[in-house]
Amino acid sequence: MVHLSSLLLKNYHGGYVVIRLALAGHKQANRPFYRIVAAYNKRARDGKYLEQLGSYDPLPNIYNEKLVSFNFDRIKYWIGCGAHPTKPVAKLLGLAGFFPLHPMTITEAERRRAQTELIATEDVLQEGQKEAEV
Amino acid sequence: MFQVIGGRSVQVTRLLAPRRAVLVEAVRGRKSRTDPVAKSKEGRIKVPPPVDPREMVVLKERFAEYQLITRALRLEFKEEVLRKKYEEETGSLAEERARQEAEEHCALMAFNNQENLRMLEVRTLRVQKEKEEAERKQVEASVQREQQQQEFIKEKEKDILKLQEDAKNFITLENLDRRIEDALDNPKNYNFAIDKEGRVVKQTMLQ
Repeated sequence: MVHLSSLLLKNYHGGYVVIRLALAGHKQANRPFYRIVAAYNKRARDGKYLEQLGSYDPLPNIYNEKLVSFNFDRIKYWIGCGAHPTKPVAKLLGLAGFFPLHPMTITEAERRRAQTELIATEDVLQEGQKEAEV
Repeated sequence: MFQVIGGRSVQVTRLLAPRRAVLVEAVRGRKSRTDPVAKSKEGRIKVPPPVDPREMVVLKERFAEYQLITRALRLEFKEEVLRKKYEEETGSLAEERARQEAEEHCALMAFNNQENLRMLEVRTLRVQKEKEEAERKQVEASVQREQQQQEFIKEKEKDILKLQEDAKNFITLENLDRRIEDALDNPKNYNFAIDKEGRVVKQTMLQ
């Protein structure tokens, strides 16, 4: 029997391959775990994928670290075959050093730093006012 | 829940259009297309988040650089994949492998031919032996049949002789009268008595 699904996906909008996060182990509530996966674009998020290229655990462990794994060899192969990584995967790869740092990572960090500085200056001002009152 | 249908023309007309005109598209959510807008959301106009122009300039620069680098990386990886495939098919290792396979193939073919020859010889010997056996058996069978025929003929001859012998004692039209007279003249008595011990007594009461 001809494998109909792959034919459909290839002829359907010229389906392309993406490298994205797929939720794994969804039988447990409130405990997400992502697989970094190469799949066709139109497949379901957790559906059949072409190959697993790594994993990402969003909840920090006892040493306060979030664990990520990549299979760089196969990622190179898939990107060479024309796969597109999604935004979160691109950000993770940037933090890992495989890709350049994503611009949004830098801007988010800057924004957060600006916020903390604002709060710090506000606190200093408030303390100054309190001292003046006293 | 709602997704704004984008486009610059749409933005302008949105300000002029009445409030409840639906220029938003339901993407997900529990309301179907015929459900009315909720009372708390009646006067809601969705506004995209504010954009800082200085940050936007910086961001555009960063994105341009990022896309440049990623595109270059993509091309590099593509080249690597093609090179690997090329080496896989027409590299030095591939040639060696092909050569070894050809050698193995030759060796195996030679072995096969030798085996065929050997089997041919064995087969011819066997076939010859079988033919000889068959011939011998046939000869034996023919001899047997001949013997049987001969015996049959002998038996039949014996019977014929016996019959000829008996024919002398037959009663014919010529002998009829004489035989009748003889029979009447010589009455034969077949009665006899026998004892438990096997003593035969032929002398009986004549009629």
